[in-house]
Amino acid sequence: MVNVMKGVLVECDPAMKQFLLHLDEKLALGRKFIIQDLDENHLFISTDIVDVLQARVDELMDRISFPLHEKDP
Amino acid sequence: MGPPKKSKKDRGSTDKFAKKRRAEDEAYTQLVDDNDSQDCVSESDGVPGAASKNAETNDENINTDEYGAKDYRAQMQLRPDHANRPLWVAPNGHVFLESFSPVYKHAHDFLIAISEPVCRPEHIHEYKLTAYSLYAAVSVGLQTHDIIEYLKRLSKTTIPEGILEFIRLCTLSYGKVKLVLKHNKYFIESPHPEVLQKLLKDPVIQKCRLIRNEGEGFIQGTMDSKAITQFGTKLPATSDNPAEDAASTSAATAAAAATGAPGTTAEGAATAVAVPEDITDFYEKIDKEEEDEDEANLKTVSFEVAQEKIELIQKRCIEIEHPLLAEYDFRNDTNNPDINIDLKPAAVLRPYQEKSLRKMFGNGRARSGVIVLPCGAGKSLVGVTACCTVRKRALVLCNSGVSVEQWKQQFKMWSTADDSMICRFTSEAKDKPMGCGILVTTYSMITHTQKRSWEAEQTMRWLQEQEWGIMVLDEVHTIPAKMFRRVLTIVQSHCKLGLTATLLREDDKIADLNFLIGPKLYEANWLELQKKGYIARVQCAEVWCPMSPEFYREYLTTKTSKKMLLYVMNPSKFRSCQFLIKYHEKRGDKTIVFSDNVFALKHYAIKMNKPFIYGPTSQNERIQILQNFKFNAKVNTIFVSKVADTSFDLPEANVLIQISSHGGSRRQEAQRLGRILRAKKGAIAEEYNAFFYTLVSQDTMEMSYSRKRQRFLVNQGYSYKVITHLKGMDTETDLMYGTQEEQGQLLQLVLSASDLDCEDEKMPGEPGYRPGGSGTTKRIGGLSSMSGGDDAVYYEHRRKNNGNVHPFHSAGSGEWAIIELQGDLEVRSSQSMHDQFIGDLYYNKYGQPILIIGHHILQGREQKLEKPFAVLEKSKSNEGHQLLNTTDATLNASTMNTTEGPERTLLDETVALEHKSRQRTEYTVRAICTKKLIFKARPKPIIANVAKTV
Repeated sequence: MVNVMKGVLVECDPAMKQFLLHLDEKLALGRKFIIQDLDENHLFISTDIVDVLQARVDELMDRISFPLHEKDP
Repeated sequence: MGPPKKSKKDRGSTDKFAKKRRAEDEAYTQLVDDNDSQDCVSESDGVPGAASKNAETNDENINTDEYGAKDYRAQMQLRPDHANRPLWVAPNGHVFLESFSPVYKHAHDFLIAISEPVCRPEHIHEYKLTAYSLYAAVSVGLQTHDIIEYLKRLSKTTIPEGILEFIRLCTLSYGKVKLVLKHNKYFIESPHPEVLQKLLKDPVIQKCRLIRNEGEGFIQGTMDSKAITQFGTKLPATSDNPAEDAASTSAATAAAAATGAPGTTAEGAATAVAVPEDITDFYEKIDKEEEDEDEANLKTVSFEVAQEKIELIQKRCIEIEHPLLAEYDFRNDTNNPDINIDLKPAAVLRPYQEKSLRKMFGNGRARSGVIVLPCGAGKSLVGVTACCTVRKRALVLCNSGVSVEQWKQQFKMWSTADDSMICRFTSEAKDKPMGCGILVTTYSMITHTQKRSWEAEQTMRWLQEQEWGIMVLDEVHTIPAKMFRRVLTIVQSHCKLGLTATLLREDDKIADLNFLIGPKLYEANWLELQKKGYIARVQCAEVWCPMSPEFYREYLTTKTSKKMLLYVMNPSKFRSCQFLIKYHEKRGDKTIVFSDNVFALKHYAIKMNKPFIYGPTSQNERIQILQNFKFNAKVNTIFVSKVADTSFDLPEANVLIQISSHGGSRRQEAQRLGRILRAKKGAIAEEYNAFFYTLVSQDTMEMSYSRKRQRFLVNQGYSYKVITHLKGMDTETDLMYGTQEEQGQLLQLVLSASDLDCEDEKMPGEPGYRPGGSGTTKRIGGLSSMSGGDDAVYYEHRRKNNGNVHPFHSAGSGEWAIIELQGDLEVRSSQSMHDQFIGDLYYNKYGQPILIIGHHILQGREQKLEKPFAVLEKSKSNEGHQLLNTTDATLNASTMNTTEGPERTLLDETVALEHKSRQRTEYTVRAICTKKLIFKARPKPIIANVAKTV
């Protein structure tokens, strides 16, 4: 039987791919979402997770950036 | 009662190991212990209540828009001629200054005096009025009325009522009373009789008053108009006549103001008239008042107080919100002898240095306070000049042994002081203190609490007995307030001068210093100094290094402490670092590489074969590496840990690469930048002549830290360039860790590192610092296992080895010596040692031998042999008609285990045997060794070409 899954091709740098793999492995988003690990820069992931994933990546970016002009306490 | 018990136990255990520790460390631990048990109360001592007032809360009800902009229109009315005035004063105490305004200079000087600079980029500067800054303003002689008046004139708008109130509140009670030491008596002096009355109503102060005659009232007096102190090469003639001097200075300032104002506005004739008259007028007045406030012959009243109760009074005065300003009338101090030092004529002060000193000696007396100058802008000269001005016994405190040496150098360079006048007091060098004028020591030496050596004990006693004229506190931001209080209880000094580049601490404890030492007297603008070429023009860059996938994977899964090591050891960071080093070495630059993490430091340095300095590096070795870095054209790069953050004077360095740092510490960033700030010789001011790289691993916490760290420098007007890709790095072939395999090995190395390796190096005084051997030795163990494959030419066996004398190839010529090493020489490829070249032997100028073997340098000493050795050559001849040379006549036979003449009965058998076979063994004396070179110390890893200049 043929299984058809809708997916999205993700292109990213190697480090970011590791982050995605990490999320996938740890089931951080509740389930596995990587359908196929293509190569160094490409992943094929399921469509319905994209929004959640984007939020997660934004969160990572926020965490590692620091506002230069902090608000007055 | 848990805590006290615990601390007691702690102390017990620290005592046990006390002997093993270096003197410096002990003081720290002791301090920490003390703090645990008793010192909690004194936290807020010495800081008056008004200091906690804050203008920041004045605008709580103000509307804020989505970007955080505040709507102050209700409180600030724009004035009709606002275009000509340079300031906004916001109700929350922030002041904004247009740096392009024609009256910028006036406004700037004024704002520096009354407020703290917050952010000073190119066009608009932000300042903030704080309780401390106003206290500082008052202490340099500004009056409440002047401050408000001048602010009003400079401001584009009306000044919010809240701010006026704040200024009054903070300045009215401050600075009114001075504690003056005159003719060796202490006086409380004030121009305001009513304030003194108030003080005297206080029962505590009443008790301290010293009344010599019954019914004595206040001592009336005028502040004598002393000439403004002259520094450096100013003509001495002017100071003979105070009146003339005053006239000339005020005339000069007037002239400067007169020429200055039209001069700056000359570019547009229209704006020349635009400078409001009142601003310049008032500026002149303020300027004059600041500098020669005493010219007005202020009427003062004073009363004498008992010397032994000074401390009590000071404390009490702070409690009743009249902190005493300490001034030292050093010219009228006859009790303490003058020391004979002067500035050399060659020492010329730069304008900002003179200005800062003028604030200190503004009225012919010495004020206590802090002077803030960027690193490399000549803080030491300011310190030396201050000492030369006071001309009383001076005590200089710094935070490491290296900077003690540097201060001594500075004194010798700028002043007429010679070796006999300067006494060093550190754990390594103890000069005889008696009779010297300047004592240079470290904070930890003074506060050291465990048992000292007899010699140190003597010095300490002497030090405590002295009345010091001036105490110079180098890098004053680094010392914990508690430690500083301790220094103050030990040393009696009339005047304190704090020097620092970054009056900044992450814990905001810096404010306390204002009251412990004195107010901030001066703070320089970094960008302005840079423009004028006094400090180097630095290009700051943040280099982003992508994490390799393998490292990032581990980064995501491991725990926090390892994470740090992973992003520091990121192979692409290593490659970037190597690339930058190569690039700058080609340009002929001198590079310092900073790493807080010792594991990384060693790995980087050893891999790239560069010398490195970190905590356990001995003083001698440090100095030697630094000397090589300075003078040896082949040592262009050194690796240092955070020990080099402050007070390492490396004027040659112009490139700095940071591979790991201490979290988000702004101070560290600024201090490190300071290492390359010293103005470069022959540099063109237009170009960047120094480079400051921070290597950051992408997508890690390091990015956030790096941003945090940059705040201070960004506020000083520096901008960072982000480099995401180093041009030319791809084409560079001989960078390490290029292959997957090598990277994998590196990763394994990192993963097998112990937890200890993951930590930053701990400095004494930091929480978590482990003094003594255990921590250090463990690290060394870690290193050898890690770098075992590297040039291991040294094994410690503690075995006497005198077999290393080179086999003779030329007969009987030259000088011979035995070389004694502590360890074995091993040759890597298992060939015989015979006739091998071992290394180069040099003598330094003190006649000490230096042996360089491969990548290691050994320092030794020469010793005369009690019993000389002979070097004999054994040769066999068949005939035996040759006469044996009797060589033993001059030698002590007992030391010789070789054989001598045939007549000796001991050797009869052999001789007989030899006779039998008609063979004669002949020994020729090739040389006689009368000395040996002992290399006792552990070889130091350094690059082989080091000794070229030794």
